[in-house]
Amino acid sequence: KTVCDLNLSSVLMNSNLVHRADSFFLATKMAAPLTLLLIVAVTIRAVLFRSSWAELISERVEVVSPLNAWKRVVEGLALLDLGVSPYSGDVFHETPFMIYLFHFVVDYAEIVFMVSPDLVFCLSRFLTSLKQKYALESDRYPADCLELLRSPKEMFYIPLKVAMFYLLNPFTILSCVAKSTCGLNNAIIALFILCTLKGSALLSGILLALATYQSIYPLTLFAPALLFFLQRLYIPVNLRRSSFWFFTLQYAFIYVGSLVVITGLSFFLLGSWDFIPSVYGFIFSVPDLTPNIGLFWYFFAEMFEHFRLFFICVFQINVFFYTIPLSIKLKEHPVFLIFMQIAIISIFKSYPTVGDVALYMAFLPAWSHLYRFLRNIFLVSCVLLACSALFPVLWHLWIYAGSANSNFYYAITLLFNFGQILLVSDYFYAYLRREHHLTHGLYLKKKDGTEATLVLK
Amino acid sequence: MNYCNLITIFAFINLLVSIPHGYSNYVETKAGQFFSSGHTNNWAVLVCTSRFWFNYRHVANTLSVYRSVKRLGIPDSHIVLMLADDMACNYRNPKPATVFSHKNMELNVYGDDVEVDYRGYEVTVENFLRVLTGRLPPSTPRSKRLLSDDRSNILIYLTGHGGNGFLKFQDSEEISNMELADAFEQMWQKRRYNELLFIIDTCQGASMYERFYSPNLMALASSQVGEDSLSHQPDLGIGVHLMDKYTFYLLEFLEEVHPASQANMNDLFKVCPQSQCVSTPGHRTDLFQRDPGSVLITDFFGSVRKVEITKDTINLTSPVEPPIKRSGSSDIQIESLTYVDQLPVAEIIHQKPKQKDWHPPDGFILGLWTLILLVFFQTYGIKHLKHIF
Repeated sequence: KTVCDLNLSSVLMNSNLVHRADSFFLATKMAAPLTLLLIVAVTIRAVLFRSSWAELISERVEVVSPLNAWKRVVEGLALLDLGVSPYSGDVFHETPFMIYLFHFVVDYAEIVFMVSPDLVFCLSRFLTSLKQKYALESDRYPADCLELLRSPKEMFYIPLKVAMFYLLNPFTILSCVAKSTCGLNNAIIALFILCTLKGSALLSGILLALATYQSIYPLTLFAPALLFFLQRLYIPVNLRRSSFWFFTLQYAFIYVGSLVVITGLSFFLLGSWDFIPSVYGFIFSVPDLTPNIGLFWYFFAEMFEHFRLFFICVFQINVFFYTIPLSIKLKEHPVFLIFMQIAIISIFKSYPTVGDVALYMAFLPAWSHLYRFLRNIFLVSCVLLACSALFPVLWHLWIYAGSANSNFYYAITLLFNFGQILLVSDYFYAYLRREHHLTHGLYLKKKDGTEATLVLK
Repeated sequence: MNYCNLITIFAFINLLVSIPHGYSNYVETKAGQFFSSGHTNNWAVLVCTSRFWFNYRHVANTLSVYRSVKRLGIPDSHIVLMLADDMACNYRNPKPATVFSHKNMELNVYGDDVEVDYRGYEVTVENFLRVLTGRLPPSTPRSKRLLSDDRSNILIYLTGHGGNGFLKFQDSEEISNMELADAFEQMWQKRRYNELLFIIDTCQGASMYERFYSPNLMALASSQVGEDSLSHQPDLGIGVHLMDKYTFYLLEFLEEVHPASQANMNDLFKVCPQSQCVSTPGHRTDLFQRDPGSVLITDFFGSVRKVEITKDTINLTSPVEPPIKRSGSSDIQIESLTYVDQLPVAEIIHQKPKQKDWHPPDGFILGLWTLILLVFFQTYGIKHLKHIF
């Protein structure tokens, strides 16, 4: 190692220590801009709530899905008041915990309630980002990578940017104004990430169980959370080591145990297991083919019954399939793995909405240092913007004007998902490339001295 | 002398008083009999279900029944005539504007004043069932509706090609005997008939009335299950068979009936025995409450208005005589007819909506908050409580 390196590492370690002590002060220093941001966000939402757009937005299929629509929640609670199980009749697909939560809140303070997931989310994002930077520093980088590393100054504003990206994201605003319970699911996932990064295995397991209980797909976040804890506790990920299995079993026990406890508790709420086919059966078997921004509806609308089961299995496996390869590739970078997993869930889940998209988009400022390695960012942003604009247009043309048909909307859905996949894979490429540069130097030279190009195989 | 006069005067006065009383008794008895038959109006639904020129005889069947029914008094407004094809103006008809029932063109059943309500492709199973049950779109004209009520006697005549349990409409669809039975049950439930006479002239016609289960139905068919109903006579000038055997003899029988005749159903059952018809006509009376011997032909085929002119007011205090019950035990116990209970609208309107609030069970709340507290203390430790409080 060069002297430069030692200096670098010492500087970094010092700064780490300083930062550890200063995190609290940092938080207070950022309190003012954060408060301003919060006020702006709440104002926007309040204005939209009171306008006539609220009704319009709460009916848009891009924003609400059969799983998290507010009017279904109201319907389910009304059924409950009439003495009928809310799960009868394919109206209500929320979990019993939601029933319990909304039972008290449904008549009043719904606006405050809707804002609070955003608050929780941005708060947890905020704290997450604060914690996160510790994971990025490492002291074995070659000297010319100085410019790749992020200086504390840059990273100072990341939490604020993350909060801004989430709170002021039009997708989030739409999702909040529509009173979709997607915001709550996002808040639980955000709290889970916060607890994971803070190192509390118990809370993290419990929150992950809660997130899985809400919609099954966060199950894939078990692997990155496990990897993070293993990394934190300096347990090598070696399948032959007993310490690895010991911790894995501990974590799995917490996770599965709390899942069982939560499911058992929800049985006691209504006294029946109705919610399992209504919620999880619904998510897995996709009976409702209302168009949304996902890929399931069109396929299954045109599919013959004969093949339906096969393709359901294929599509659902597609969500869970990327966990193992990504975990293997990113086992030293669990935080990025969490981001990738969330993105994959948002793209490939059975009933995605723009709230799910906003969830992983909020993460993007945390990887702002990858900007120089992104190759398709212009294309992706254009695609996403154009598709977001075209969704309501083509919907109107299809449903109201009658001059288009479902293929038009499906094309935009395809393009939107293509844009998302391109975004995610671009960030993945950028991340891997940065890691490569960090280990091999930034300006790579071929054997004869000319500049080398890096190809992702 | 005075006593004699007084007695005479008294007797005379008594006589005078008793004569109108006796007369009113007579009128009351007649009035009692007036309402005893149970029906006040007659309807007829006559359906021919076959199309194509070679099914000329089915149209002729229907038109002959139509003719008899009209002659005996049912007006066109109370007849729903459904003919699936137009034979009179068919381009293959050598005698246009005529439909003959007897060979050598003896009897033109088409006449001058036929009113066909459902013609051509309008004769479908759906329309037939809609006519029977009354579930027609609001735009349907009155002439296409069966506007019967619970005092109507309805005659239903079907003819065409049929089989065991079905009747073929227009060579493309079928009505099954179960559908027909259900339609009649719907009519019964909605009080759309008082008594119903069902006559069918098709092959294996008896299968069509096997499934009836509503009360006050009497059914006749031209052939039993497994037998074919045969056509009667071809006319070499027209080139097709003109009538079916059963309806031919039915028409002959009906030509003898006039509005005042006392011919009853037992005579109708004797129409067209096997010697004449080759097939065995069948009938079903187990669902019918009255004795078929007491049921006049004109109760169904005619519209005999019972009118009694009286110059006195009559006090109808005595209860009306019930219709003559059939002798022997009847399997079907029919309770007296009443309207269904009306919706308790008054209760609904003036009642405030009861909010039956659902509350989560206590066990759940307890369990949940215990767990939350446990996790909280596990994470943050009890020692922190000192700082909080």
